Amino acid sequence: MPIKNRFAETHAEIAAWRQHLHQYPELQFDVHETAKFVEEKLRSFGITDITIGIGQTGVVAVIEGRSNTKGRTIGLRADMDALPITEATGLPYASKVPGKMHACGHDGHTAMLLGAAQYLAETRNFDGKCVLIFQPAEEGGGGGNEMVKDGLMERWGIEEVYGMHNMPFYPVGQFAIRPGALLAAADEFEIIIDGQGGHAAAPHEAKDTNLAACHVVVALQSIASRNVDPIKQVVVSVCTIQSDTDSHNILPQTVKLRGTVRTLDEDVRNLAEQRLQDIATHTAAAYECTAHVDYQRGYPVTVNHEINTDYAADAAEKVTPGVWRDTPPIMAGEDFSYMLNARPGAYIMIGNGEAGATVHHPKYDFNDAAIPAGCSWFAEMVETRMPAG
Amino acid sequence: MPVKNRFAEMHADITEWRRDLHENPEILFETHRTSASVAEKLRSFGCDEVVEGIGRTGVVGVIKGQSTASGKVVGLRADMDALPIHEQTGLEYASKTPNAMHACGHDGHTAMLLGAARYLAETRNFDGTVVVIFQPAEEGGGGGREMCNDGMMDRWGIQEVYGMHNWPGMPTGSFGIRPGPFFAATDLLEIEVEGLGGHAAKPQETIDTTVVAAHIITALQTIVSRNADPIGNIVVSITSFETSSKAFNVIPQRVNMLGTVRTLSNELRDLAEKRVVEICEGMAATFGAVARVKYTRNYPVMVNHPEQTEFAADVARSVSGACDEAPLVMGGEDFAFMLEERPGAYILVGNGDSAMVHHPLYNFNDEAIPAGCSWWAGIAEQRMPMAG
Repeated sequence: MPIKNRFAETHAEIAAWRQHLHQYPELQFDVHETAKFVEEKLRSFGITDITIGIGQTGVVAVIEGRSNTKGRTIGLRADMDALPITEATGLPYASKVPGKMHACGHDGHTAMLLGAAQYLAETRNFDGKCVLIFQPAEEGGGGGNEMVKDGLMERWGIEEVYGMHNMPFYPVGQFAIRPGALLAAADEFEIIIDGQGGHAAAPHEAKDTNLAACHVVVALQSIASRNVDPIKQVVVSVCTIQSDTDSHNILPQTVKLRGTVRTLDEDVRNLAEQRLQDIATHTAAAYECTAHVDYQRGYPVTVNHEINTDYAADAAEKVTPGVWRDTPPIMAGEDFSYMLNARPGAYIMIGNGEAGATVHHPKYDFNDAAIPAGCSWFAEMVETRMPAG
Repeated sequence: MPVKNRFAEMHADITEWRRDLHENPEILFETHRTSASVAEKLRSFGCDEVVEGIGRTGVVGVIKGQSTASGKVVGLRADMDALPIHEQTGLEYASKTPNAMHACGHDGHTAMLLGAARYLAETRNFDGTVVVIFQPAEEGGGGGREMCNDGMMDRWGIQEVYGMHNWPGMPTGSFGIRPGPFFAATDLLEIEVEGLGGHAAKPQETIDTTVVAAHIITALQTIVSRNADPIGNIVVSITSFETSSKAFNVIPQRVNMLGTVRTLSNELRDLAEKRVVEICEGMAATFGAVARVKYTRNYPVMVNHPEQTEFAADVARSVSGACDEAPLVMGGEDFAFMLEERPGAYILVGNGDSAMVHHPLYNFNDEAIPAGCSWWAGIAEQRMPMAG
């Protein structure tokens, strides 16, 4: 090491796969062409134990090591889905599908795991089984959860699971990780405030739901500023406010608020849900309105297991020395959390370079220069966790 | 190690000193009796130098090792002041002074450092110089800052500095520490809102300062909820709200508010100050009133230096077998000024299952004394070991 030499040779090939995937982005569970591409590549590497349709459109494949004396099995996971964004990069390999774009680098994640699979299938320099997991619907659909619910862990006897995400603005190939909570629980809420609509010139005859809604938004600020321990983290954001009329002279009967709550531990999550419910209900009542709160728990907190975080960081250290082992938590959510709730493991961030745009931005692009480091880390995880005798 | 045998012998003496201090609490810089008692004890232990009046009522003692060839000088610091709280413990050695109480355990800190000083002056089993620092006015007066401003670090050539605080809820005599930011910066807010007072029945002729102030308090919540990085740690609290009129039917001309801002990084501290001023002035202007904000930076973030933290934890482990990672604390600590001037570290020692500090039922736990004293002695002896 650092970078495995083989990946210097396959770098161009893997970048070509990535750019192909980039041109044909697919959303949510509808990743049929991507899954087919993954399956074909895996077959071309000589991998035969391939199962499609896990978690609707996920792909699972097995690479046997040169030996299997200890019965060890390690899972490596990448995500395949894109985002409903119209690409604005102007790249020669930009999305050919209007309104869809690989704006989170899942094209890169998939290509890197394919690159690692190619190398591992060639060398098989480990004692055990490597299970490759390609999941759909990371961006809001819960594809990882679906795969776990389909019995992924038990069916393939997976003991540990590892995943990787690119990180804009970190140096290319720089690894960053932390034990414990790395990414947030991402919950969604909808509050419908119902009052009494009426003529804007006769507010005394109405129960003004706009006014109640504004007070709810202001009062929700106190969850972060007054309720949650300042040592802990929480974000409560109201993102949409919509009255049921768009006129100038009608007070709306209802106002709909939509937003998200991000937390890094379950206690804070429970507290935030309870307070959101109470604040919406009572503040609305203060203005003689009612609030109906629909709180949907999304992805759970992505919690890196302590010892596996060390394994992941040690493997990364061999690839790119100077791993950031205590990178701050990120308030975004991540579907890999379901896999980490099912099995010990760790999620690591890999630098996408200082330049460029952030993820979910129409000018974002995965940085192909990160490929050799990313592939090397996947391969290193397998070879160091299941060393050949 | 673990606990030095000598401290088992001295435990009763040190406990007696502690309880004497507890009975006679003194506030802020008014620690005259305490300082005199500390200085007298240091002299009786045979300290090489004892100087009073540093940082007004602080005391500095010097203990030279059997050798000073290493040229090393390590500072050990305790705080001496009490709080304006009326004690309710009912202890036989409870405060004799109404509305003054050792409710933060500084009596214990001072007694433990005195115990360590006595041991170190007896044994001098180190190669270098120990400077024991007894500061006044930790509770808001900035006594540590005053001692630094008096040139203490340079005058005694202090190279590193260590401090300790008891911590309710941690097992007695256990230790906890963390590198980097540890205790919060504590800033003071004074906000005056000036409008136009008048008759409560004619609000249209006034600029109602209570309404403006209420909007300011509500808007200040957004510093935490909207402006600060959610990964950071910050508290903005308005603690006092006073109208210039106490009547039922007068809209007040002025509202005065007090509050505090706690942050664990300088970036958040700068952000909070800027936003407090902008929010107050902006909200006041919205209603045609004027807000005058005085933002006073008091104690800075107390930052433990990584190398000295690791060393302090090693010493703690040699005393108690373990040292936990302490949580971040949103309280402030005057020792921050000393750690800004010199590398060093601050450690927590468990006070067992006691009431929380600053509570009228709080009491320092004398059972922590041997562990605390041993840690002080270990800092000196292990940081400046005898040759061979």
